[in-house]
Amino acid sequence: MDFPINPPIGERVRRKETERFVSGTGRYVDDLLPAGTLHVSFVRSSCAHARIKSIDVTAARAMPGVRAVYTGADIAAHVKPLRVGGSSVLRPVKLYPLAVDKVRYFGEPLAVVVADNRYLAEDAIDMVAVDYEMLPAVVDPEKAMEPGAALVHEEAGSNIVYKFHFATDGIDKVFQDAEVVIKERIRSHRITACPIEPRAYLAHYNKDEDTLTMWSATANPHSLRGRIAEIIDFPEGKIRVIAPDVGGSFGVKIQTYQEELLLPYLSRELGRPIKWCETRIEHMRNGRHGRDQIHYVEMALKKDGTMLGIRDKIIADMGSTYTVDHSIQAAALYMTGVYQIQNYSVDALGIATTKTTHGSLRGIGKADASYILERLVDIAARQLKIDPIELRLKNFIPAEAFPYRNVTGALYDSGQYHLAMRRTAEMAGYDRLRQEQIELRKQGIYRGIGVAFVMEPTSSSRIHATGGYASCRLRIDPSGAATVFSSMGEQGQGHETTIAQIVASQTGIPFDKITVIHGDTLPTPYGFGTGSSRSSVVLMPSAWVAGKLMRDKMLGIAARQLKVLPENLQIDGGKVFAKDHPEQSIAVMEIIRTAYGAIHLLPENMEPGLEVTGYFINPNIDYTPDDKGRMNTFSSYPYAAVIAVVDVDIETGMIKIVRYSTVHDCGNMINPQIVDTQQQGSIMQGIGAALYEELRYDEDGQLISSSFMDYRLPCAEEVPELQLEHIITPNPFTPLGAKGAGETGMLGPPPALCSAVEDALSPFGVKVRETPLTPDRVLNLIEKAQATPAHG
Amino acid sequence: MAKSITLTVNGKSYSGEADSRTLLVHFLRDALSLTGTHVGCVVGRCGACTVMWNGTAVKSCMVFAVQADGDEVVTVEGLVKDKRLHPLQQSFWKNDAVECGYCTPGMLMSAYGLLQKNRNPSDEQIKKAISGNLCRCTGYGNIVAAIKEAAGNFTK
Ligand code: FES
Ligand code: FES
Repeated sequence: MDFPINPPIGERVRRKETERFVSGTGRYVDDLLPAGTLHVSFVRSSCAHARIKSIDVTAARAMPGVRAVYTGADIAAHVKPLRVGGSSVLRPVKLYPLAVDKVRYFGEPLAVVVADNRYLAEDAIDMVAVDYEMLPAVVDPEKAMEPGAALVHEEAGSNIVYKFHFATDGIDKVFQDAEVVIKERIRSHRITACPIEPRAYLAHYNKDEDTLTMWSATANPHSLRGRIAEIIDFPEGKIRVIAPDVGGSFGVKIQTYQEELLLPYLSRELGRPIKWCETRIEHMRNGRHGRDQIHYVEMALKKDGTMLGIRDKIIADMGSTYTVDHSIQAAALYMTGVYQIQNYSVDALGIATTKTTHGSLRGIGKADASYILERLVDIAARQLKIDPIELRLKNFIPAEAFPYRNVTGALYDSGQYHLAMRRTAEMAGYDRLRQEQIELRKQGIYRGIGVAFVMEPTSSSRIHATGGYASCRLRIDPSGAATVFSSMGEQGQGHETTIAQIVASQTGIPFDKITVIHGDTLPTPYGFGTGSSRSSVVLMPSAWVAGKLMRDKMLGIAARQLKVLPENLQIDGGKVFAKDHPEQSIAVMEIIRTAYGAIHLLPENMEPGLEVTGYFINPNIDYTPDDKGRMNTFSSYPYAAVIAVVDVDIETGMIKIVRYSTVHDCGNMINPQIVDTQQQGSIMQGIGAALYEELRYDEDGQLISSSFMDYRLPCAEEVPELQLEHIITPNPFTPLGAKGAGETGMLGPPPALCSAVEDALSPFGVKVRETPLTPDRVLNLIEKAQATPAHG
Repeated sequence: MAKSITLTVNGKSYSGEADSRTLLVHFLRDALSLTGTHVGCVVGRCGACTVMWNGTAVKSCMVFAVQADGDEVVTVEGLVKDKRLHPLQQSFWKNDAVECGYCTPGMLMSAYGLLQKNRNPSDEQIKKAISGNLCRCTGYGNIVAAIKEAAGNFTK
């Protein structure tokens, strides 16, 4: 596509929404407190796996301020279950808002107390007595696959709840004949998104109107509305879901939760607004978890470093309810990454365990793939004694090969991998770094250099799931201001600004006069959740389409009045004028007045008013595989090259990131300032994942890292020196050429830092295969390596 | 046991009922409707609830409302004077130190507390001052830059 990108698109415009956030007037769900609101608190399972024998709520009911107490069985009698999961091997399971006969993970909600305030509700949950019949916890996914393992879902007959297989012809022969085969077991550990605003919901059933309003810190308001309608059997059209300001999501708020479905029911039952804001501990235990894949992976190469093929076996820990099996598929489809590898096979298994349900998290599935692949490439480089940058340059897909069909059928839109890698090496001073490393080692300083090249497929689409398109409705009001109704909510991405930039660019309506409404199902057109970076790839183009439709309409009106063809007209400075004769002009306000009032002056067959809806469909998506099982399920392929430099203190195990250099290509940038800020945050989240954050379960299935005390997010003091640069290769299949900017940053640190630490500790022959790289783990690795004979 | 307490918040006197266990953050938000102060963890680990209490930046989830009886509190709402944003707020806006905005009020108050005591902080001092304030969105770089820039234009 060839479309002009005119200002203010591409400018570092100051964000509109920031004004209310700095002045403390943002509105989040927890800020709302309608008169008569009752508060709830949940009784949660104290064990990972058990049958519920009985629940005694008598004492809780008698507590001060308590209005009602319900158990799972009470609720199940009145709501329909949500059908979730559903995969290649298993029918969907029924999910009720509260556990019914059995609990399947530590912290699962099984009863609810409704009280006058949150303190009283919390007091009362302690008075609920639950009698359990304990069942064995299913913690290790590999053991869970063995015959005789306790079953998380008995009706499934197995804990293997998802299977995916793909293989190219002759893959085994490639490995038989290969000069070199690198074989590893690498695990991406379990983490969670952890936005600073936890989940929060407020349901208000209005008896007089027979309508339900649900305020939710959700990233997916339209889908949520449908689900509420389904489970409480209430007309969808009478439900309004509003996601007001939402304090971050990173994937975790895109899914629907048990508590979220319960509140509308309670409000209808009790005729009062019902509110719940989760605690941080609840968030760690109940918000979806991410990553947690084990890969048994091998790469076949020639001695000169030419990559020939990859064979992978993936064991993915899906937790208790496996709602998002596409995390596995996303990993399986992209294990060849940015390299020209046309021989590949994968067997991927999703395993049910008695842990919190697995779900979306910035880079879902693709982050596991890029981490494991990039580690494997690094290990291969070390073994073949080839420089890790050289090995990559030798195998990258060349710029002239795009659009490139990878081995699994994915269609990569565009890229300049060689350029990005070389530019990063130049920026980081790679050759000099290697020299310095030798010098420092003589002084006993363990410096390491880690290289990674990560790609983040964005804007996924799957049948009946999510993401096929986005839409924006645009109205120019009679006053001359414009309002855009966006189909997607936002949680910090700055849509109010970027959409206004796009509409201003197309229509000439000043940026300051454009208001963007989002997250409210009543005025906005239908759309999918904000995830998979699809706002850049489909939502912004839909605003562009709406802007173009509006522009065409305005020019049409002007054309008739000026007697000039629309293509010879231009909008600028509040006027529409002939390009060749600027004195032939009409004020934009005059066009607006015509559209609303003087409709006899409209061109023939033109509808009155100034209101249009723009849709944009995710390009290049395959909804069914071809005869070889190949398909493309993402439409854009941003990527980043990374060089990380670390010093490892071998006495304390502490890692200091000396510098982190990266060149990122997310295509055209609608607002480069917003891209930069998002990228910095994304990189820090990746650093947290690599070095600090881990959700750990003990053998009884208890989550032992469930607060900020033991699940440590990076803080300001841990920000390393960052060198960020962009190269721009626009996505040729979307009008704006943007590819999605929020996720790639997070993918870089895990492989780059692990490789850097392995490099730093190479004198000990340390192998990094488990993460995060906490000081304890680093010391352990050194100790272990010293106990075994050293490698070169 | 409910007790009647009086606080000066953002220069205005407020009275209200608070139980002995009511947290200051809940009192500010629920009783006084000052919802700019946020709750991210209620256990003192995220900093979203930071306010000024008698001249020092504190996490208001770590203080009982009754402890602040008779005291002076400043919240993010109190930084705006005559509808004009405080230089710190302007600088956060200009330097794009905000995405979702949830950590922002707490960050601003920690920064305000720092600049009350130190008009010319180094990057290290700024990072230390906000090290108890978690931000998941921005990666902190722009926040540090914003505080540094505001230090020059700081007014009480
Ligand atoms: S809410 Fe007070 S520190 Fe987190
Ligand atoms: S701006 Fe979202 S947590 Fe800081």
